[in-house]
This record gives sequence, structure tokens and C-alpha cells, in this order.
Amino acid sequence: MIRTNRDKLVKIAVGGEVSPPKLHAPTQADSTGRSFISIGMAGIVYNAQVGDLAFGWKADHIEPGVSIHNPDEHADYAMHYLTCVGNDAVVSSGEAAGARGLVSGEHARLLIDFAADDLDRLNIGDKIVIQGYGVGLELLDFPQIAVRKCSPALIENMRLEVNRAGQLVAPVTHTLTPRLMGSGLELIPEFVDQDMVSEDRALIEELGLLDLRLGDLVAILDQDHSYGRGLRQGGVVIGLINHGDSAMTGHGPGVMTLLSCPTPDIVPVIDARANIANYLPFPSRMGSQGK
Amino acid sequence: MLQTNKDKLVKISVMGHIDSPVFPPVPWTPHFISRDGKPSLLPYVGGIVYNVRVGDPALGWAGEVIEPAASIRNKDPQAHRALKVFSSIGNQAVVMTGRARGAKGTVTGKSGRFADHVIIDFPPETLDNLGLGDSILVRACGLGLAIDGFPGLRVKNLSPELLEQMGVTAQNGRLQVPVVATLPPEMMGAGAGLDSDGGALQIQTGAPGALEQYGLTGLRLGDVIAIHDYEAFQAPGLMRGAMSIGVVCHCDSMRAGFGPGMTVILSARQDRSAANVIEPVRDLNANIARILKIGAYR
Repeated sequence: MIRTNRDKLVKIAVGGEVSPPKLHAPTQADSTGRSFISIGMAGIVYNAQVGDLAFGWKADHIEPGVSIHNPDEHADYAMHYLTCVGNDAVVSSGEAAGARGLVSGEHARLLIDFAADDLDRLNIGDKIVIQGYGVGLELLDFPQIAVRKCSPALIENMRLEVNRAGQLVAPVTHTLTPRLMGSGLELIPEFVDQDMVSEDRALIEELGLLDLRLGDLVAILDQDHSYGRGLRQGGVVIGLINHGDSAMTGHGPGVMTLLSCPTPDIVPVIDARANIANYLPFPSRMGSQGK
Repeated sequence: MLQTNKDKLVKISVMGHIDSPVFPPVPWTPHFISRDGKPSLLPYVGGIVYNVRVGDPALGWAGEVIEPAASIRNKDPQAHRALKVFSSIGNQAVVMTGRARGAKGTVTGKSGRFADHVIIDFPPETLDNLGLGDSILVRACGLGLAIDGFPGLRVKNLSPELLEQMGVTAQNGRLQVPVVATLPPEMMGAGAGLDSDGGALQIQTGAPGALEQYGLTGLRLGDVIAIHDYEAFQAPGLMRGAMSIGVVCHCDSMRAGFGPGMTVILSARQDRSAANVIEPVRDLNANIARILKIGAYR
């Protein structure tokens, strides 16, 4: 069992409302100059959920499930900084009031997973409360490892183990190298994600990344995200695929930072089951039994 | 001699004001956190910088992402966007108001997300007379620039006059570009996936040994740099076979993923006929301040 300081963490309410999709321009151009209309960010996405494929959707940065924001800028930042993956959420207004969800990730909005029949009753603008829990989480036996955006439930269920050398062994579906990391370097790991660059599709195929799924845990080698996101030989980051692919160069499936270590004290092991949909009771994957 | 479409380009005015440095209000800390977790309070972007000029070292200053000489912004977001996209390195800038009215300067680059300025070099006596808020007109010319015989090449943020003086040559369908260093895609930091037409792409300087490995320890503002396997047609990012060229426009950073920024000037994908390919040629004098005789080379 991985020892944490979970009994010292504060659980606090943050929240927002279901975001309407917005178009900033009628069309955008991809890197080859072909125009596309951005669809998939914000709103209620009925048919892409955590556990589904990250590539292949005719969409831009698809956000699975329900995307929420807070119209007050400062409250919105509080929601972003204080929410962790695996936190409980509940609808507090509208026809779906009382429906329970689970935070699956953070992009420009918070991403919340609900059961299909709750999605059917949700409206854009409905209020959602999140029980923010996990900020300040530490691995007591690994002070060199930074923990970001992990609820205690996630960290306890992601099958972390300690090997004989005293290193943290983390199951992941894929490993990524620094050259693949693009947009998001300018942001701190306490805030949203960093995209992997998918424009060179032949390379993505060669590297066996086309079967990436939303919710997959991945390792990024030679990176340190302890303070900011940057290159560091020997460093290891464990990340979470939070949104789908993009047609824009420098963009692609998003990787949220969960664990970062500047030294080689995290050992990733490939395991196809390393997806948060297998670790936490996401309502979209539980059917009616989950209610 | 390169043949270009320079006689077809439009020269048009865009305008910005000398922008004051800004810091967040209390209780927010004014410190930046370094890649090792250490907080520092240092001069940050914007304003009039009297003692850092294009041609000076880009590394080592006790500052965070310092922009040399004068930084301008237009407070109207759409006019600012035009200022950022139309301005090209080498364009003439003119002081329109204040004590330095009539003084001439030169566009030396554009910073990216958060800093978001057009950066202008002025002679020291002009800097002494500039005030925050002074209006600076840029006579923008360069958008649409193309080199004959290279239809797949993207030329951006570059005045035709500077292009002609950079020592760029065309041979066998390849474009030889003098550069100080050639960097791999993993050295690219903040700016990846953002905006190559009005922003900057930063070199990550934080990985131990990386500066020495790639010959960057003497890096100067104005240096011309190549990035292999990197495309910057719109948002910059990894693309095997592509080559992009940038000009170092602002100083280093202590933060992870940040570093000296480059304004992209050329980008090409490799195609099967090997046409439209940029071929970097190492030349330690490939610096726009030296070429234009501005900044430290005035």
C-alpha cells in the first residue's frame, strides 16, 4: 500500500455550470490548409466517454462527457486548481438535479462523467458542484515525487507498487518521448494539460499510439513537471489522457500531469489495463447499476 | 541573388504604444518559480529596457523573459492582432508622440502568449527620450513574401530587405540559410502549438548540459537558429523532415519549458522531390543585429 497524507487533506466545494460550445471563428485551417469546424469541446458530449479511443473522432480536442466552467473568472480558477481526477460531482439544478458524476479530467473546462440517462436530462447551464479533494496530496515515502490533480481514490487505485530498489512502479499503457510534447509547455502542471503532437500521423502509427484511449495513464520520459513542464534527462512524468486528438499542428491528445519525478525513481511498466475507467466507478461505464 | 515577389507586397501602417511592465495585485506573489522550485522577484516583460539590446547575450541576465529595447502593444485586441501579424523583422518603426517624436527604430521580433509584444530596437538616445504610452507606428511590410522557385516554403515575420541581406542562397532547389545553431524538436518549449505568425517559440534552456550540447552558451539576441523536424506553417510542432528557421527575439527564463524566444521566419516540409528544403549552414555571424547594424552593432 502506498502511504499518503490523505487524512490531512481538506475536502471543499467548487463548481460551475455546463458550458455551451462556442465558435471563435466559423472555420479554422489545419496544418495543410484544409478548413475544419471545431466541434467536441464544451457542452454535453453524448457519445464519447472516458475509456473510448482518443484518436479517430471527427472532432477537435474532444472532451468526453460533460464540460463545465464557472462564469466568475476567479471562481473558475478555484475550480480548476482545487479539483482532482476522481472527485465526486453532483448536479444541483435543473431536471437532472441530484445526478452523480465523477471528474475524469481537466481541460479548458472541468470534464465530468455521467450515466447516459443523466446526460439525457442535463441542460447547458445546469449547475454542478464538485467535492474538491486531493490538493496537497503527498506520497509519504517519495518526497521527490510531485503529485498533481490526483484524488486519493485515484492514487490508491492506480496499482502503484514499490520495487526492491525502492522505486515507484506505475502501470501505463504507453510511453511518450519529449519530442512528442507540444502545446501546454507555457502552462503550469497545476493547470490543465499538455498536448502530444500528432500531426506526423505516420510517426504516431509507428510508435503504436493510435490505440490510445481517453483515461489512459501514460509515462513521458525525460521530463520534469515538478515546477512547470520541461525537459530533464532521467525525469519521469505519469500523465492522464484527458481529451481527444486535434487537427492543429503542435496539438493532439491531451496529457494531464499526475506524478512527476526529476530523478528515475518512477518506473513505468506497460499494462493495457492502465486506464482510469478500470480504476474508478465512472457512471457512463457502470450502466444503471452504478446509480 | 534570390528572386522574390517583394514588388507585390503591401506596405501598411500598424500601431502600438510603449507598454509598461505589469505585476499581479496583492496578495498574489510577484515571484516566478524556477524549474527547481525557487522563487525569484526579477524584472519581467515589457517597458523600455535601456541596457539589453538585440545583438547582446540572450542568456545570463537577472531578468525573466526580458525583451530588448522597447516593447509595444495596442490596447484594442483586434488592432493588436494586426500589429502582431503584420509587423515583420526589419520593418521601420517611427515614434509618433512624446519627446522622441520622429525617431526611427527597427522591428526585431515578437513575443508569444503572456508577453505578447512587438519588440523594437531604438538608438540609446531615443530610448532615453521615450515615455511609457508613446505611440509607435510600424510601417509593416513582409506579409505575403515568397521566394521564386519555392512554392512550398512559408516565409513569415520577415521584411524583404532583411531576407536579401541574410546570405540566403538557392542551389539545386534547396535554400541555404546561415544559422548559428541547429536544434532538435525536443528543445522547443513554450509556444509549441500556439502561433507562428504573431507569437514566439521558446528554446528550453533548463535541461542540464543542453546549452553546451547544442552550442548555445554564447546565444545572442538576433541569432538565426534552425530547428529540424519541426514545422511552423501555422501552429508550430513536430513534423519529421520539416525544417524551420527562427530569430532569437527575447531573453532566457528560469521557468521549466521556457527560454529565449524565437520569431519564426521560414518553414518548409520535405517533399519527395527534395524541393522546397531548407538547408541550414553553420555561421556564427548569422545575427540580425550584425546584418542590420542595429542594437549592439550600431
